Amino acid sequence: MELPQRELSVLEAASADEPTPIAELASATGQKPETVTGAAFDLEERGLVTVTEDTVADVELTEEGERYRHMGLPEVRLYLAAREAGADEAPVSMGAVLGDADLEGPEVDIALSNYARKGYGEIASGDLSADPDADPESDPEAAALDRVAADDTVDDDVRETLERRDLVVVHERTVRSVTLTDDGVDALMAGVEATEAVGQLTPEMLASGEWEDVEFADYNVEADAETPSSGKTHVLRATAERVKDVLVGMGFEEMEGPHADSEFWINDALFMPQDHPARTHWDQFALSEPSEVDDLPADLLERVESAHREGVGDDGDGYHSPWTEEMARGVDLRGHTTSLSMRYLSGHQVGDLEPPQRYFSVEKVYRNDTLDATHLLEFFQIEGWVMAEDLSVRDLMGTFTEFYSQFGIEDVRFKPHYNPYTEPSFELFGTHPRTGEVIEIGNSGLFRPEVLEPLGVECDVMAWGLALERLLMLTHGFEDIRDVHGTLADIDFLRDTEVVY
Amino acid sequence: MPVVDVDPDELRDLTGHDEKSDDELKDDLFGLGLEFEGTSEDGEFQLEFAPDRLDRLSVEGVARSLRYQYGDASGIYVPDTNDAEWTIEVDDSVPDDRPYVTGAIVRGVDLSGGALESLIQLQEKLHATMGRKRAKGAIGIHDLTMVKGRSGRGVDERASDASDSDASAVAASNSITYRGVAPDGDTFVALDDDAERTPAEVLTEHPTGEQYADLLDDYEHYPAIYDDLGLFSFPPVINGRRTEVTADSRDLFVELTGTDQWTIDRMCNIICYALDARGGTIEDVTVSYPDVDVVKPDFETEEKVVTHERIESTLGVELSEDDVLDLLGRAGLGAESEDWGEQGTDYVVEVPPYRTDVLHPVDVVDDVGRAYGFNDLVPRYPDVSTVGGRTERSRLERAVRETLVGLGHQDLLNFHLTNEAENYDRMRLDAGSDTLGGGKPATIAEPYSEDYTIVRTWALPSLVSLLENNTHRAYPQDVAEVGFAAERDDSNTGVAERRTVAGAVVRHDASYEDAKARLQVIARDFDVELETPATTHPSFIDGRTAEVVIDGESAGVVGELHPEVLVEHDLEVPVAAFEFRLDALAE
Repeated sequence: MELPQRELSVLEAASADEPTPIAELASATGQKPETVTGAAFDLEERGLVTVTEDTVADVELTEEGERYRHMGLPEVRLYLAAREAGADEAPVSMGAVLGDADLEGPEVDIALSNYARKGYGEIASGDLSADPDADPESDPEAAALDRVAADDTVDDDVRETLERRDLVVVHERTVRSVTLTDDGVDALMAGVEATEAVGQLTPEMLASGEWEDVEFADYNVEADAETPSSGKTHVLRATAERVKDVLVGMGFEEMEGPHADSEFWINDALFMPQDHPARTHWDQFALSEPSEVDDLPADLLERVESAHREGVGDDGDGYHSPWTEEMARGVDLRGHTTSLSMRYLSGHQVGDLEPPQRYFSVEKVYRNDTLDATHLLEFFQIEGWVMAEDLSVRDLMGTFTEFYSQFGIEDVRFKPHYNPYTEPSFELFGTHPRTGEVIEIGNSGLFRPEVLEPLGVECDVMAWGLALERLLMLTHGFEDIRDVHGTLADIDFLRDTEVVY
Repeated sequence: MPVVDVDPDELRDLTGHDEKSDDELKDDLFGLGLEFEGTSEDGEFQLEFAPDRLDRLSVEGVARSLRYQYGDASGIYVPDTNDAEWTIEVDDSVPDDRPYVTGAIVRGVDLSGGALESLIQLQEKLHATMGRKRAKGAIGIHDLTMVKGRSGRGVDERASDASDSDASAVAASNSITYRGVAPDGDTFVALDDDAERTPAEVLTEHPTGEQYADLLDDYEHYPAIYDDLGLFSFPPVINGRRTEVTADSRDLFVELTGTDQWTIDRMCNIICYALDARGGTIEDVTVSYPDVDVVKPDFETEEKVVTHERIESTLGVELSEDDVLDLLGRAGLGAESEDWGEQGTDYVVEVPPYRTDVLHPVDVVDDVGRAYGFNDLVPRYPDVSTVGGRTERSRLERAVRETLVGLGHQDLLNFHLTNEAENYDRMRLDAGSDTLGGGKPATIAEPYSEDYTIVRTWALPSLVSLLENNTHRAYPQDVAEVGFAAERDDSNTGVAERRTVAGAVVRHDASYEDAKARLQVIARDFDVELETPATTHPSFIDGRTAEVVIDGESAGVVGELHPEVLVEHDLEVPVAAFEFRLDALAE
């Protein structure tokens, strides 16, 4: 006969004469108790052993029981103190004896109620008498406390009394024991060999049916496995996707357009004066090759130049700054994606737009800056705008409050701000979801007439912008943006980062 | 953005609100758009704000705004000026590049306490902002008692042809001259100096001179201001030591030169308003250009007309006419209403001469909103229905990225900016060659960093750079990027931009087949036909390189990276890689 090793060892350790508890078999075979139990049931199924179950009570001292074991039961202490005070001869005042017995609080009641029950004496109208024949040395409950502490057995009725007095707790458990059947004895006499344990389940085993006879070796199922090589969407891309989901859900349509664009679309259309400090090479990436676009839309160019020089409307003023077409033709890597907004609003990208419209983009922008923990030369800008008749500052606030709440940023505050291209303008401040700090989370406003009128837009347009990296750093608590974005990134960092959803 | 240091005690003093705690002041300032950035070593508030209200570049200006906001002041304020006694004569020799001058005299000012520092700060901040680092406008402030006017200028003969000049011009009896000076011409002792130097020497030998020397690069003659004793100011660089202003100075001569009259006039007004708040009396100055005399400072106000309807619709709240007039007054603006019956109400708004930012009636609406308190407005989600959606390109990009991630590639996000060595040389590629990545790059004109000088023409070098930075990490390092690349062409912008798909299998047994296999999966998933005819590319091993042809069009390249490229990047594992145009997968 062949048996799996775990069963064979149990069979060999069991006896036909008396039931052997699982725990004993486990230590005898060097296997885990749950493995032995499984093997025992398998052996029982084969008719080689019987498995019996007994209920065993484990008795354990409570904290109170432990205390009395050392100090003596309250009633015993009371009796000894009473004897000392001469209560075996004449009743004595209870108050003094209690003090001598070092009894106080709930122990007083315990002492008194058991004193009489056990026949140590009598209590009558505040006086205490002691029975001279009582023998505290042979108090069965006191003795039982010692036996419980030593794991010895205790009579059931004494145990129940102790349990009622909350001096012990009783845990009942089932103990299984194994006894060899006659068949089991015969099999052992005839000789049993161990079947080989199998590591890997194979297609062949499944096809041949061999799997039915094999034993599968136990694995250490708690041990860490080797991590597979896997890919993951880049955390910043995933954040961009999340932002796009939110904006699409809010009714925004996506924009796209050139990264290298004329200054006209990047700055002039936005009513940025040509001598604005942000238009120097210190802030923006002008290209040397190519350095100039061939064509700009002539009519629009004229209207934009006029807005810069003269302003728009009956009493509008322009800037007191130089303006040349040559500068407008210069090619830059865009410093913001508002250039896309300008293209869309002008009708040059997707045709004339009728209100209402909502548009967004989450695209790269470029700034000539020094690289550090919070600044990159290129980053993603979230850009969004709403075009409708009669938009108010309240609409702007409502839209952006809703957007930020999707990212757990509540209590958005609006600080009046200045941008050349919007009025009113606001910097948005919110509470950092992790640190609780109030921080800047975006820039917004209603586009100025000097921006909209040259583009031919006759209704209101509100817009806002925010760096995607900033949002990610807020929601994920990253401290150095270079870990995330660019060729300096640590591949383990990308692998280990929590997914965004 | 400009930062102004303001002593909170002085602010309490100037506003007359001693009871305001620091925190209350910070809140009130936030409402005006001035953000508390921190406290200076001297305990001053460092306030950051946008460069629209340059009149707030001093504690006097901030206090004025607060007084309006608190309702302690209302309406427009224009200081009275005394008639001109001084003339700035503009000589023909003034450099063409810096033709304009303006000025004012302020008498009886008290510069003790923090007032002088505040004035110096205001001057510096105005230089940095409106003055465009002194190129567009530069301020010189002098102790008037140290300036010796030249009298007996030919007022009588000039008065006749300067018909539109103010009568006060005739009364002028002292003059100084704005003129050109040869670089190695007259000498003077500059501020913080103790030697006589020519202007050219100041530019090379004096620290302030060195700092501003490049402003005068193209000048044959330098701007200079003379009084009877000679050269005493060298705009836009430095004043002379003789006329230096101290805390004891009582009477000041303010002069500004620049490239735009309006700009320097407004800068002058901001200075005058700040000195007026310190108890100074403003006195006109006649500026005598060769063809016309004008009186400065120019305190003329401007008018804007704004409708009641526009104010209500922009703020989204209903206001009474009295509310609006009150709010306009609290914004420091003069206002009168005009009721047009059915056509609603207009406000004729008078804008004070220290404001540089009011170009259009919307700017007045903004002022009303600030006075009302924007944060008192209740947000509402606009009742406007639109349909959202993403571009096809953006959806395609996401789908390809998901496919690559499904194949086990770590998605990357690399910089678009790189340099020629990374993009070409280290990949064994020549710029301007007719192969993937070989196009000519869009080139940054004046890059800060030598590492980022061009826009990448392909994405594989970015992947290889990342691998180079991660040789200490566990392999395999299969990576991919769906990203941006561009090269020069003859389109309108001169740049052809495209989205590109790059992937690399990076493990000890990576081979051509691994890369090709991934392309096959992509081709299957996007239902396109893939062919890979043999080709050569300098970055790949000959005989193990193929052109990626998708639906009959050449779209990219696939192969095993050349050992020279691997060794160059310290890689000790083979790399099988591909790159192709994203739009080849589009419908």
